[in-house]
Amino acid sequence: MLFRIDPGSSVPLGEQIAAAARGALADGTLAAGERLPAARVLADSLGVNVHTVLRGYQRLREEGLIELRRGRGAVVVGGVDLQGRAALVGHVREFVLEARELGMSEDDLLDLVRTTLSEGT
Amino acid sequence: MHRINPRLVAVTITPFLVALAVSLGCFAAFREELPARIATHFGGSGQADDYTGHTGFVLVNVGLFVLMGLLWVAVAAKADSGDRSARGMTAAGYALAGFLGYLMAALVLVNRGVTEGDAAMYPMWHLLLACAVAALAAGAGLLAFRLLPPPSGPSRAERSDDPSRRIDLPAGVRAGWARRTGSWWMLALGLGLVALSLVFVFVVETTWLTAVLMGLVGVLVTLLSRPYVSVDRRGLTVSTGMVPWVRIRVPLDGIEQAESRKIDALGDFGGWGYRVRSKRSGLIFRSGEALVVRRAGGGREFAVTVEDSATAAALLNTLADRRRAGH
Repeated sequence: MLFRIDPGSSVPLGEQIAAAARGALADGTLAAGERLPAARVLADSLGVNVHTVLRGYQRLREEGLIELRRGRGAVVVGGVDLQGRAALVGHVREFVLEARELGMSEDDLLDLVRTTLSEGT
Repeated sequence: MHRINPRLVAVTITPFLVALAVSLGCFAAFREELPARIATHFGGSGQADDYTGHTGFVLVNVGLFVLMGLLWVAVAAKADSGDRSARGMTAAGYALAGFLGYLMAALVLVNRGVTEGDAAMYPMWHLLLACAVAALAAGAGLLAFRLLPPPSGPSRAERSDDPSRRIDLPAGVRAGWARRTGSWWMLALGLGLVALSLVFVFVVETTWLTAVLMGLVGVLVTLLSRPYVSVDRRGLTVSTGMVPWVRIRVPLDGIEQAESRKIDALGDFGGWGYRVRSKRSGLIFRSGEALVVRRAGGGREFAVTVEDSATAAALLNTLADRRRAGH
């Protein structure tokens, strides 16, 4: 898959790498079970530190989109609606960014989420 | 639908049929004068040390030339009618047939008039003559290839993806594309060869040189069996994915045009693995989509069979354009 990073952007490079993967998952270019390039290979390719790539991959793992396996590297998880989930993660990021721009505190933000969760069902 | 080029097939199989005819012809002509046991293997000094019966000799000849002929024809049959890069392969077939045909005929001649197989001698200069015949045959092969009519049907090269596609890359943005490719068969083959070479060294008594060579080939095949293909600011890189320093790189400067094209392993490259032909070379693991780059200054092509090659080609063209524009 294709990775694009902008060193001039204020977004950290690790996050940009994660975002590129998320985009590919959201539009179906990257599918379940496929492997992301080895961190070393991607780092060399993009001219960044290998830890930067690893940070990006860790983020994706925390978001439940990939698994990091010894010897196999970064593998996209199966058994979930990847496109949906990747898109959702993207929304969450935007949502948090917007809230920060509005000056909302973390507690206020979490309260808002909890209230919404207790509605419905 | 792939159309077989009958003239190319005919040109390809001719030398093997001729070699078979020559060796069997010699055999038939001098049969009365040959011993019951024909000396067929000789030591370094030219002394005979192994023998075959008459039937065995005929069978081996038929088997050898028919099999080789079929191998060459299999490639020629799948060759694209618009493709001239099979020239080297055809000439090699002629050379091989010439070499072996001479050796077989010489076998008959050294056994001629000998009462018992042991007295036959096979001096080394026969090998030199065999090489000379091979060289002449190769020349004949090249000539025959030249006499083939020019390509007529639609060539496979027309079946390529849109070469004008580009990736949106604003100034300052860096991009990279990487993908693993290769074949598990090749990995198994490579490891198998290494294991076999170790067996040959420690278990079976054999010249260690053969075992070492086999081991080296095994290592090479293993290293190239599951490579990483990456496209970035440095160009197209194929690395082993196992050790860092073994790699094939085509820098951006050296790339005129990249495209994604469907290739046929046997027809376009004469087989699998690291293939080198007169107009193109490549790492071919299967037939199907491949990333093909046309190199600057000469137009030689380098291909790698890999998935998502269309994206890779678009990125490579985008980066090459950028480089030409001076960024």
